[in-house]
This record gives sequence, C-alpha cells and structure tokens, in this order.
Amino acid sequence: MIASQIRSMWLVFKHLFRRNVTVQYPEEKPYLAPRYRGRIILSRDPNGDERCVACNLCAVACPPDCISLQKTEDPDGRWRPEYFRINFSRCIMCGLCEDACPTYAIQLTPDFEMCEYDRQNMVYEKEDLLIDGPGKYHDYSFYQVAGKAIAGKDKGEADNEAEPINIKSLNL
Amino acid sequence: MPTITIDGEKYQVDGDQNLLSSCLTLGLNIPYFCWHPEMGSVGACRQCAMIEYKDSEDQSGRLIMSCMTPIRDGGIYSVNAEMAKEFRGGIIEDLMTNHPHDCPVCEEGGECHLQDMTEMSGHTMRRYRGSKRTHRNQYLGPFINHEMNRCITCYRCVRFYNEYAGGNDLQALGRNHQIYFGRQEEGRLENGFSGNLVEVCPTGVFTDKTFSAHFVRKWDLQTAPSICEHCAVGCNTAPGARESSNNLDPILRRITNLYHHDINGYFLCDRGRFGYEYVNSATRIDKVLSVRDEDLIGSTADNKDILHKEINPQDAVLNLSVQITAAQRQLRRIIGIGSPRSSLENNFALRQLVGADHFYSGLNYLDQEVLQLVNSLQSDDRILSPSTPEIETSDAVLIIGEDIYNTAPRIALAVRQAARNRQKQAAQSLKIPLWQDASVRQLEEEHSPIIFIGTALSNLDDIADATLFESPQKTALFTHALAQEISGYKAPNLKMPPHLQEMVKRTAAILLKAGKPLIISGTSGKHPGTLQAVAELSRALSDDKKTPTKLYLACSEANSLGLTQLFNGTEGNLQQLVQTLTDQRSANIPTSLIILENDLYRRLDKHSVEKLFSLVDEVILLDTLLTPTAKRANCIFPASATAESQGTFVNNNGLAQRFYAVYEGKGFIQESWRWLVDAVDFCTETCENLSVLKEWKHSTDISDAIAREFRVLRVLDELGPDENFRIDGLRIARQSSRYSGRTAIHAQEHVSETPPINDPDAPMSFSMEGIHNPNKTQLQANIWSPGWNSNQSIFKFQEQVGGERKGGPSGKMIERPRHPIPDWTNTLEKSPQPPNSMQMLPIYRLFGSEELSNQSMAISELIEAPFVLINPKEMTQHGVNEGELVDIETSSGIYRTEIRRCNTTPEGCIGVPYGLPGLETLAALMPGYATLRPAATHSIAGVEN
Ligand code: SF4
Ligand code: SF4
Ligand code: SF4
Ligand code: SF4
Ligand code: FES
Repeated sequence: MIASQIRSMWLVFKHLFRRNVTVQYPEEKPYLAPRYRGRIILSRDPNGDERCVACNLCAVACPPDCISLQKTEDPDGRWRPEYFRINFSRCIMCGLCEDACPTYAIQLTPDFEMCEYDRQNMVYEKEDLLIDGPGKYHDYSFYQVAGKAIAGKDKGEADNEAEPINIKSLNL
Repeated sequence: MPTITIDGEKYQVDGDQNLLSSCLTLGLNIPYFCWHPEMGSVGACRQCAMIEYKDSEDQSGRLIMSCMTPIRDGGIYSVNAEMAKEFRGGIIEDLMTNHPHDCPVCEEGGECHLQDMTEMSGHTMRRYRGSKRTHRNQYLGPFINHEMNRCITCYRCVRFYNEYAGGNDLQALGRNHQIYFGRQEEGRLENGFSGNLVEVCPTGVFTDKTFSAHFVRKWDLQTAPSICEHCAVGCNTAPGARESSNNLDPILRRITNLYHHDINGYFLCDRGRFGYEYVNSATRIDKVLSVRDEDLIGSTADNKDILHKEINPQDAVLNLSVQITAAQRQLRRIIGIGSPRSSLENNFALRQLVGADHFYSGLNYLDQEVLQLVNSLQSDDRILSPSTPEIETSDAVLIIGEDIYNTAPRIALAVRQAARNRQKQAAQSLKIPLWQDASVRQLEEEHSPIIFIGTALSNLDDIADATLFESPQKTALFTHALAQEISGYKAPNLKMPPHLQEMVKRTAAILLKAGKPLIISGTSGKHPGTLQAVAELSRALSDDKKTPTKLYLACSEANSLGLTQLFNGTEGNLQQLVQTLTDQRSANIPTSLIILENDLYRRLDKHSVEKLFSLVDEVILLDTLLTPTAKRANCIFPASATAESQGTFVNNNGLAQRFYAVYEGKGFIQESWRWLVDAVDFCTETCENLSVLKEWKHSTDISDAIAREFRVLRVLDELGPDENFRIDGLRIARQSSRYSGRTAIHAQEHVSETPPINDPDAPMSFSMEGIHNPNKTQLQANIWSPGWNSNQSIFKFQEQVGGERKGGPSGKMIERPRHPIPDWTNTLEKSPQPPNSMQMLPIYRLFGSEELSNQSMAISELIEAPFVLINPKEMTQHGVNEGELVDIETSSGIYRTEIRRCNTTPEGCIGVPYGLPGLETLAALMPGYATLRPAATHSIAGVEN
C-alpha cells in the first residue's frame, strides 16, 4: 500500500524532467496524417470532372443521417448530385461515407477547425464541399471502370471492354 | 402432403410445386434468376442448384436444378452442401464476368435481385481479368431505360413480354455469348404491360425512366398501400415519395406493384405504373384560387374563362362558411356534385354538407343508368364477379362490347392466360406439372376459345378465335339471340343474317360445353341494351349449368361502383340537376354549386354545362387538376390526389379497398372532405347535419359514418384499423429503417430537425420509427426482407409462393342485397337514326382515354392527336381519304379531326376516341349522332364552336 504510493510519487516526480507533449495550439499545429477524419470534401477526377455520381451510398451509410443529395443526369450521360448537403453540426466524423463511396468522391481531410457561433453555418452545400483536385486518390476515375457510356467514353471504351457487338452481324 | 428432408430437417410441402418454390415457401434462401412465381421454370440460369440424395445412405448426392425438380415424397435434399454452394458460386461468377460494374449509376441498385443473389452466393471478389463483352443500348420509349450490358441472359424479359403479355416487339437477338434483348429497330415498346419489365428483369437492363428523372434509392422512399386510380380494376400499388430538392415538399416519385392475390398479382398495366406523374404536373392545383377582379389587358383566355389569383386559404374557407351559414337561414341554396374518381369519404362528406336532396352524382343519365345496371346484375345470385385467378382459369371467354385492354387493362392480361387453358389441360393429362413452363408451352394445343363481339378489340386479337365487330345495338341483339339459344327458347322475331345465326349457335355450344365459362362486358359502350342482354345471357347460362355464371363487368372509373351505392337508380344525375335548377329559376334564391373532383365537360354536353353554370351564382371546385371546369369556378380548393390521402374505392368486383396517404400533399393541398369540414367549423349556425361534419377529425370517422348510413357499405368500418391502432405500442413506419438524410434534407432551411408530421387518419408514421415487417401488418407497403432487397421478396410475406398475403386478402366485398334481375327480354330498343348521320361509338385508348393519367408527362408523349375511325366503305361514300381532316358536326359544335381507316368500325358509325385530349367534350355525346364532312380548308385539328 505504502509502497504503491511511493512508487506513484516517484513516477510523477520523474515526469518533471520529461519533454512537454502539450503543444501551444493554435500557434503551433501538430502533424495530422492525410487519413485523419476531419472536415469532409467532394473531390474531382483526374480530368477535373465532379467525381460524385449521386449514388446515395454515403447518405445511407451515414449513422446520424446528415448527408442528403439528389441525383440528376446531365446531357453528357453522367449522373451528378443536383444538390449535395452535409449538416456538419450532426456529423460525427466516422468516415463511413468515405468507406461507402464507390468513386472516391467523398473524402475526409485533416482539417478539424470548424467552429461556428451559429449552428446554421455548419450546413455545407455542394459549392462549399467541392474542391478542385482529386484529394487522396490521384488516378481513379469511376467512368473509366464502369460500363455506362458518357460523352467522350463510348461503349467498349472503358477498361477491359471489348468493342460493342453488332447484333445484325452473323456473330459466329 | 409429401414430406421431404432438407439439410437434415423434415418438412411437409405442397406436392404440386417444384422444389425451389417449396423451399422458398419454407423460408429458405435459395438464389435464382430465371424462375418466376407467376411464369414458372425454364431452367435457364442454373443458379438454383441443390443436391438430391438417393437415400439416407447416399453420401455424395447429385446436383439438381431445384426449379426443375418436382417434389418427391421422402426426398432428401441439401441447400448447404459444399458441392451445391460451390456450383452456385461458380455460376454467379460466370454470370458476372461481363457485368459493367456500374451499380452506383444504376437505377436498380439497392433493390437489385442480381446484387442480392451475388451476395447470397458469396461472390464478393472479382477474379476475372479478361475483356468484357459490350452492347449498345436502344431507345425504348418514354417509360423504359435500356442498359443492355447488365444482362445475365435469364430470358425472363422475353418470356414475360412475348409469352405472358402477348407482345411481339422485344426479342432475344444474336447468338451464343452475345445474346441481345431488345427490339429489331429502336422505338417504343408497344405492349401496354411493358412497365412490368422493370420488376421482372432481375437486373438493371430495364429500369423506370420516369423514376430516373427524379430518382432516389428504394430505401429512401416513403410508402404506404394505395389503390390505382386509373381504372376500376383496383390494382394495389406501392407509390413512393420523398422530399424534393429545392423545397421541403415531398413529391411522388414512382409506382410499383403491391401484390394482391385476387386482383393484380405480380403485374400492373402501364397506365397504372406511369400515370402517377399527373400529381406533379404543371396542371396540378396546389394553391387556393379565386376570381381575379382586375381586368387583364390583352389576356388570351377564352372570354368565359375565369382568371384566377391565389388567395389566403382562410379567406376562401370563410367565404364558403358564410355561404353555408346563409343556406342554414334559407337565404341560399347549396348544391353538391360528387365524383366517381373521388373516394367514398369525400363524396359522403359533400352529401352530408349539402344534404342528400341536394347531392348529385356528377354522372350523366346514361352513365348512371349503365352503372346501376352493373350494380343490379352483380346483385343477382346467379351471377358471380370473378377474381383475376378465376378469370385466368376459365376455359371459354366471351367478351361483349368491352375493349378490356383499354378499359380494364389488367383483366386483358388475365384473359390472355385463360387462353392457355387447353394447353394446360393437355399438360395435366400428360402429367407435366404446370410450372414446367417451356414444356407446357410446347404442347401444340389450340387456344381456349375466346370470342369477341363489340365495337373494337385491342391487343387480344391474336388469341381471339372469333370476332364480330358490330354496333352496340347489334351486339345486344346477338347477345339476346345467344341467350335464347342457350335457354332453348326460339323467339320468332329475331331477324339475323345466316352467318350470325351460325355464330350464335357455335358460341352457345362453346359456352355450354365449357366447364368454367366466363363472360366479360362493361359500361364503356354506354349501352344499357347490351348490359340487359348480357344479364339475360348470364341468367340463361346459370340456369343451364346450375351454378352462378362468372361475369366480369368493367366500369369506367376507380370509384364508379362506390358512387353508385349512394344513389337510387338514376336519381341525382346531372341532367336532372339542370332540369331542377331551370324549373326553380323563379324561386330567386342565390345558388352555390360545390363540385367535387369532377370535370363536368366530360359528363355533359357543352351547352348543358354552360346552362348549369348560368343557373348558379357561385361555383366552388375541389380538385387536383386545372380542368376546363376549373376555369369556370369562382373558387378552387386544392384537393389531395390518391397517393396523398386516405379513402375507399369500390372496384369492378364490388370490393371495397382502402388506400392510405403516402405523403402529405404540398402547399395547401388537403383532402376535399377536410376543406368542407374546415368551412363548417367556421359556421356560426349549425344544424344536425353540419354538427356531424364538425365531429369528423379522422378519415375513418367518415368511413364509419358511411357504414352506419348505408347498409351496403357496412364493411367500410372493417377495412382496416383506425388511427389509434398500435403494434407493440408502435405505429407502422412509412419510411424504411435505412431512410437517409433525416438531419440534412431540411437543414438548409433550419438546421434543427422538426418533428415528423402526425397522421390523423392512419396508424402510420411519417418517419422511420415503427413497425417495418410486412408480416406483422399489411399496412407496411415497403416489401423488403433481409438479403432480399428487390420486390421479389414478396414471397416472404405470402402464405405460400404465389398465394394469399399472410394475414388474408385485403379489402372487403360490399354487401349488396340479393335481388334477381328483372326480366328485360323485351326492352330491345330501336332508336331512330337521324338521316345522313353517323353514330359516334366510343372507342378507348390505354393512353388518352383516362383523365388523370393524360396529364402524366410520359404518357402524354404517347397520346394520339384527335382522330376518328371509319370503315373504308363509308370513307368512299363521304369522299374522304385516310389522314385527311374532317369536320364532325355535333350538337355541341364542330370538331375537326384526322380521319383514319378502320376495317372493323361498323357501317354507319364512326369510332370516336373517348376522352382523347381535344375531343374530351365529345365523351358526353356518345353514343349519339353526328354528321361528317370533309374539312373546308386544311387547318389544324381542334374544336370549333
Ligand atoms: S457515395 Fe460517393 S459517389 Fe455516391 S453519392 Fe456519396 S459522394 Fe457521391
Ligand atoms: S443490374 Fe444490379 S448488379 Fe448490375 S449494375 Fe445494376 S444494380 Fe448493379
Ligand atoms: S434483360 Fe433482364 S430479364 Fe432479360 S435476359 Fe437480361 S437480365 Fe434477364
Ligand atoms: S389495370 Fe387499371 S387499376 Fe390496374 S394498374 Fe392498370 S389502370 Fe391501374
Ligand atoms: S432459377 Fe432454376 S435454373 Fe434459373
């Protein structure tokens, strides 16, 4: 009993001579890995097109249900979100949306500094979420992998796709 | 009942089923693609493999396709044996080699049978790295999207479309591993049941184009059981709604089939599936409108049309209540006009408000007369109104004067199945089980006899073995002769040409020989004589067979038969109203007319409608769409559409069915009865009638009141639980447990969530809280089971595959007092035809004849421009050619339309499309007379006054 108390005091005393781990935030900022789960962004594919195809998977994966969007289809055949909204005042930064996203569009970033006096300001629309680059995944382009034809990528032009069949030929 | 062993467990199963459906009935999960509960097995996909053991000694067993295996009493099977699992895993891996990997941009995703089966078979990682075969897609019309690369070659689509629904423009093209399911040339899928491909195809090859335009995933749709309002068959539907993007109001996004064993089974028609868009159309009323006083300079509106402006709902309600109060003091008269397309509850509320004496049916004399005839026919014990499965098992069908494909489409699909009964009988005598679809269809039997007599027949001509195109008068005469032939009574006065006499004899022989004959007729011909002759025939047949005759009678609108129950005979018809008002004009008392969801221009000729409006001082309309009648109303209240409200319809069989609100209509939209109750609430003076209205807080209050007031409608209080019903203390959830976006969808307006609105009418919540399991209650319309995300999961909620829903059939037959039909034998009329005139016969169109669906964007693309049909002989006589414009001169004006040749239009008649946009006002004139002449100058088709 007494031995344990002496041991504790010794440990505390020893720490007097250790280096400080507390940093002087915000003057000093610690390193956060790219995979850190902070503020969410929407990225673009290597060509600069919006990556999000409005599949709704992030929204359904989200535990507090704070993502909402509406699919629309552009004349070029791409699916896109007509609007895309995240209510960050509800978001728990779990990253499940990023896990669910089949296009790498939605990504969490190392930015966690999102304080607001007014909760309403925590509601982000697509304009607020969309960044100019591909984020953490530089080369991935969903439409290059998926078979749906869009302007500039016809049937048969995605990865591993053969020329479309001419059904009026003999097809031997 | 045979006993079988599956994976060591013993089960008792129905010996008539195959092994796959028996296993599914037992609740076991076995993946499958090509088998369909309604279409049987063909063994094409090989996904449903199981193991069968010779006996209990047999250790290895052999692979079998469960969908192709009959039940063997004492049989020992395995679903989970390693060999079976491995085989199924291999099959799905092969099927997926060419899959385009576009689930995120596939409308099927989230309710895809292919996703479900892939998951179930354990194929979670792709190994194939070779190249994928690709196809180009086709344009298939405004309803269906085509994305051919997703196909797994199960052949369900062509089996449904060609073999089941009788289409001929969808084929399996190409060969070996390049099979293509599409049309020879791009273009609209012509069959009126094409929409079912969306649910029949287990993948995303065929998807709903109208849904895609405002797409959300299945789990994001709010739903409730509803009834299709586009004809009187009464198919059950599961509409889906969700908030729209730019404001908080939900919009209706799609219709899917909701299984009802006795009505629609697994299939809907395209009018029912795609007609829903009228709810979101530009002509939808969502504000309270009233006359605009200020003159608009340069307005292009017809001078009689009233221009409207939005007003505060409270002012409008107050104004109405002032009128009601005045009526209490005898200072005003209020007349109510009901509607066959509105619920019984709405009609009854209006009747209660204005009093039974001042309540009119909203039908013209003739329409009401034929409906009453239908009603009395169905009240005879010798006549039985058959359910869809009963229609499908008839072995001889006689259709009299009803183009059912266009007036009761789902019934036409059932008749098509009835045509196969000889084939099925032959199969049974050869001991081929009926689920062996490919084998049964190979038997070269003739069709079961299908005989048609009437004005026009669509879609069924390929299976009809005798057709006779005649005017309604001749149709009645033929039917009459047939009845006499069957009863053995020979009237000396029936003059008929020999070929008709011969056909009468043949038809009589067929009906007498048949074990389960079926007669189909209806109100669309607007000809009482035909229905009377049909009555005579049914009676004669029943006397001969000593069993009730199966007689299906099609009515025109969703609640036609319901409305009929509120009136005696033809009392309360619109002509009577005009007459009464004319007679009482001298009384000099101001009159208000409240019209419930009804466009009078479709009911009465133009002059009578104008006269009616001129006889009243104030026209108040409650409706969903801006109809021509709305343009004449002083005040318009926005009424809920079917999917936005709760109420009761009575279908063609006399089955009362309740529909529930799927979502709350936008803006100020509310149920018509609520507007009326609101107005009464403001009244300063009340009488007994009105205080009843004041008490109504829930839709079921009115249902109960109807049940008390009308003996025939007693069942209305048993149709479903009231709003206080709870299961384990919970309401039934309209939203799925995975409904997404709850805390974001409204966040742009206000970041804190508002509580969900309360439903005053049904024990259901407008949220995801509550009961989700459709086995606990039929009020749950989201058909979903773990691992079974598509609509195919319905088998989890049936007594057995293809059987009744667990919990019994929904809906209740209204209890009409039984009366033998009177003797109408001598009432064959002979109305004089004005010289040089032609009789206008109503012909019907799947797209174009029904008022509400005409406003749906996709359907309106397919509606034809105004035309009339005439036979080639008359064409020469009138000196007109195909495609030319003609003037149809009628008592309510001249209509300029295109003329089309039609060999089957009876002589002396023109076929006029009923309700077709541009010709709507002709509906009320049929079957009257008109003269026809070539159009003087070539101008566009349209109406002149
Ligand atoms: S999961 Fe990805 S692609 Fe799908 S909606 Fe969300 S962000 Fe867009
Ligand atoms: S058909 Fe099914 S598996 Fe194929 S892309 Fe569509 S959702 Fe995915
Ligand atoms: S299109 Fe659909 S239904 Fe037709 S074969 Fe392909 S997967 Fe089967
Ligand atoms: S048959 Fe009639 S009730 Fe059934 S879906 Fe078609 S229109 Fe609707
Ligand atoms: S379901 Fe049995 S082979 Fe396709």
